[in-house]
Amino acid sequence: MLHVMHDQIDADGLLLRIAKGERAALSTLFESEAGRLVGIAQRILRRRDLAEEAVQDTFVAAWRRAGQFDPSRGNARGWLTTITRNRALNMLRDGARLEFHDSEVLADMGDRSVDATAAFNALSDRDALRNCLGQLDEPKRRAILLCYVTGLNHGEAAATMNAPLGTVKAWIRRGVVALQECLS
Amino acid sequence: MTSEQMELAGQYVLGLLDGSELAAFERAMADDAELAKAVDRLQAHLQALDDTATPQAVSPGLWAGIEQRLDAPPAYVNIRQQRKPGLSRVGRGNWMAMAASVVVALGVGYLAGSFGTGQRQPVMIAVLLNQSDAMPGAIVEAFADDSVRLLPLEQFSVPEGQVLQVWTLPDPATGPVSLGTFTDPRAIRLAGPDLPAPQSGQLYEITLEPAPGSPTGKPTGPILVKGFAKAPLS
Repeated sequence: MLHVMHDQIDADGLLLRIAKGERAALSTLFESEAGRLVGIAQRILRRRDLAEEAVQDTFVAAWRRAGQFDPSRGNARGWLTTITRNRALNMLRDGARLEFHDSEVLADMGDRSVDATAAFNALSDRDALRNCLGQLDEPKRRAILLCYVTGLNHGEAAATMNAPLGTVKAWIRRGVVALQECLS
Repeated sequence: MTSEQMELAGQYVLGLLDGSELAAFERAMADDAELAKAVDRLQAHLQALDDTATPQAVSPGLWAGIEQRLDAPPAYVNIRQQRKPGLSRVGRGNWMAMAASVVVALGVGYLAGSFGTGQRQPVMIAVLLNQSDAMPGAIVEAFADDSVRLLPLEQFSVPEGQVLQVWTLPDPATGPVSLGTFTDPRAIRLAGPDLPAPQSGQLYEITLEPAPGSPTGKPTGPILVKGFAKAPLS
């Protein structure tokens, strides 16, 4: 069974069956996708238990809303990824941000920077995204990666990059426009 | 596409729009197929970054938890694919709203019995909901001096050699902190460690752990009940 990787699973077909109420199809989708989605949520939420909570919510949502999946807007894996990301971001934004000790804040920022950079470095050389991100100035690229990969908001990205908030907002605004122009 | 639309599309996909900005952008996407397509395209490109996350082995109980929720009445979960355009506590909102309504439903009897005149007021109250059917299972009152008063509302079965352990999450970075253990489900007061003042929305939960308490110092057993704190009105 080792050769059954995610790209051999017909996730789109499974979602159609899930929309008809086939729980076995949901179970198959879970087997192939849950580990990947926990990895994504954990980079944002930093904690395994919360990441699993986000993924649990994702599959409950997939069960209830499979009928709303629109293949013309993207594939099923992407649909699941978006649900998980949004759930994780909502949990992150909701979490009571208590006062951290300075050392914990620094460690957390460091971890997020490492994760953001690692994600960029792991992109395939043939990936258009890598090419286009690579063309951005370093601060713009870094701000975008911090927000997308680890879920930081503008203020957290500014603190992590030790740059003024207005500057970071401008980097992101200009960066995402340049990125879309390059990708199109 | 104007460059302003591209800026918004990019920030939307990055998860940076909130509140009214987010709501306005989602309305614009619903009316503008070209804009929606641009968002889908950027999203699909950026998901190459999500695919670099290392897949994790999932806990054995995760699938069972999903099945349990599929069988539960659908009222207590309502997740949208989109980010919620509300203010801060959006994702937890359903839980919080439910916890709040349960507090009201429990009504005067509980409140009157609990707070006599001259008694100390808790700074936060959390109604912990049973994870299987979302019914209230316990109430936690958190006081300013780090102590908590726990009032079980259901008979938890505690197997021989196990204890019930109460946890809270004052800070996501440090993870859950134990407030104490008990075996006999009746109203008790736990002293609790020295923690920051309890905040609205703070998570409280009870897990089943091997006696005399979790061997790792973090929750290891099943979550029996959990809920989020809210400040009482008075």
